[in-house]
Amino acid sequence: MATKEYDVLIVGSGHSGGMAANILTQKGISCLMLNAGPEADMARDRTTKTVWDLPYRGFGKPGRLPHVYQATEFTANQWVDEKEVPYTHDPAAPYNWVRVRLLGGKSLFWGRQSFRLSDFEFKAADIDGTGDNWPISHADLDPFYSRVEGILRVSGRKEGWPQFPDGNFLQADYANDSGSIKKISELGASRGILFSKIRAANGRNGLASSINLLLPDALASGKLQIVPNAIVREITVDKNTGLANGANFVDRHSRQEMHVKARAVVVAAGTLESTRLLLNSGIGNSSGVLGHYLQDQIYGVTVVASVPEARDGKNPEYMGGSALVPRFRNLKKGEKHNFIKGYGMLINSGGAASPGYFADYGEGLQKRLDSYAGSCVSASIYGERVPRFENHVRINKTVSDEWGIPVLHIDVRDSANELNMAKDAAATAEDLLKAAGWEILSKTDKFYPPGYSIHEVGTCRMGDNPKSSVLNKWSQSHDVRNLFVVDGGSFVTCGWQNPTLTILALAMRASEYMADQMQKRII
Amino acid sequence: MQTIAAAPAVPVLLTPQANAQQTAAPTAAQPIAATKAGTVAEPVTRFFTAPQFAALRKLAEVLMPPIGGNPGALDAGAPEFLDFLIGVSPVERQQLYRTGLDLLNARATKQFNKSFAALDAKQADTIIRPLLVPVPWPYDPPKDPGSHFLIAAHDDIRTATRNSREWGAAAAASGRRGGGGQQYWNPVDPIYKG
Repeated sequence: MATKEYDVLIVGSGHSGGMAANILTQKGISCLMLNAGPEADMARDRTTKTVWDLPYRGFGKPGRLPHVYQATEFTANQWVDEKEVPYTHDPAAPYNWVRVRLLGGKSLFWGRQSFRLSDFEFKAADIDGTGDNWPISHADLDPFYSRVEGILRVSGRKEGWPQFPDGNFLQADYANDSGSIKKISELGASRGILFSKIRAANGRNGLASSINLLLPDALASGKLQIVPNAIVREITVDKNTGLANGANFVDRHSRQEMHVKARAVVVAAGTLESTRLLLNSGIGNSSGVLGHYLQDQIYGVTVVASVPEARDGKNPEYMGGSALVPRFRNLKKGEKHNFIKGYGMLINSGGAASPGYFADYGEGLQKRLDSYAGSCVSASIYGERVPRFENHVRINKTVSDEWGIPVLHIDVRDSANELNMAKDAAATAEDLLKAAGWEILSKTDKFYPPGYSIHEVGTCRMGDNPKSSVLNKWSQSHDVRNLFVVDGGSFVTCGWQNPTLTILALAMRASEYMADQMQKRII
Repeated sequence: MQTIAAAPAVPVLLTPQANAQQTAAPTAAQPIAATKAGTVAEPVTRFFTAPQFAALRKLAEVLMPPIGGNPGALDAGAPEFLDFLIGVSPVERQQLYRTGLDLLNARATKQFNKSFAALDAKQADTIIRPLLVPVPWPYDPPKDPGSHFLIAAHDDIRTATRNSREWGAAAAASGRRGGGGQQYWNPVDPIYKG
């Protein structure tokens, strides 16, 4: 029977767990990684199929993944089965928790948009006049951002705007903007709305995942072992020292209960799974804020217009391309809006019209779709939700998953701030597109339920005060000094930006600190 | 990726045992001349009532006729497929369809003293057109139940038609792109393999 004690136990194999493994093994620290799901083999586990060969013609099995709007019948098997690992919420307050348990986690499938947070997010309380600042600033994270950008091979256009910090970008070869993008960029500039470009991780061979960018080096060091199908039930604690000393886990197939020993524990299971694990373990919550301040971004607010001179296949060179509009609201003190924080916009040119935009059918509808094809410009919004104590998760003791582990109850509700921000975003996008002389086809200020963005963060927030935060500025538990949470759980504010780059930078920074503390025998 | 398994959890002896039980591949036999079911039998519905299904067929015929060399909804078997799909859908979806199809029949009877299925195209339009409204966002359906149903059914009929084997064949025959293969994720190491 194995009785080995590892230096560090890492729970989770996505970007943050992969980064922890990568950094710690480079420092000579032995690591064991437990991952709740199996390893996927892209060749073995994927098959080319036509949609008509699927049992449900592409609709997917009804009711199978009611919270995963992103799922298709092609991808249904990549997501966590909601019956196997359920969660609960008030029916009147739905939450879309989108999960992957394959080795590599969500890093296998992420959209690869890579934006830094700025001090408008790190020091949000100073600007908003409410809430909390992070205990770190952009300057603290800047060197780690740069290294992560190098690993992910992020391309981007440098702008010099403080709300959209530049980074260590590959030289991007952006094509000249199409006429439609130029026009709307100029209109935006005249309104103080600046247009930039998507910043994206190129990765390697189309993949920017922990499994190809982070874990291979860790494995090559000989210091990492990975156990798939190992579902961690609880982190165990030495009763005498109060320190974490390993974890109990259950094998997914045999259901054998097991225990592994470690000198320190890194939790990197994804924001909500990490918090669920801490809550089920009964640790790290002397502040009472564990599970609170759950946030993500509002997605769904969209305005679509058609460029008349590009209809019926005319002037195709006028169309095409995209632009990224970083946050422009509430950057200056004294701005008066009925909401705090702000939103970004993604502009796409050259798309098709949706049939739902027209009250028509049959040949009449088809003629319209043919005429409008390629003439559309859309503006989609990424809006920042306000971190609120009331938006929280807790353990639902009456419901357990397939392995008898109590599940989460998620309680998140939007406030007037989100609703007002969405209205402002839709009105602003409409104003821009109308000013261009284009026909508005569709406008909605409605948005998806919380969680839809798959950018859930918070619930283990960091801070200097142990009475109001779970982690310190190094992502280290205030209560259990050999316990680190390195995924999105530590976020104090979510920003409008995709969080992955920040999660990776924080995980790198925390892991280097942890290694230093271990080498000095402080941990 | 090199991984290790949880120590006692993996039944490592399974592979040789499975190999030992393998039998020789069957030898090729003469192909059996199969008869297509549609040539000897009539389809029956499993979920909708006969009047509801007749209304659904009419709706599909009107909303998605054959256009530009593409098959229409009836050619693609969209109503029959939706009878299956809605029959295994959550009860809210089932109720939306049943109520909506009953509504079409009720309005057709009231205005023309006929079932919806018996209407000509112009008559059907007078029932359908008032229910059609633009939908800026699919997750914010119209409040009116009739409009909600029509928008949902229209979308489903279009998708069932465009994702049909018949649509793909027509696209391939005309040299257009027609929903070629996509990467499908098989179940990855599922717990229940039976």
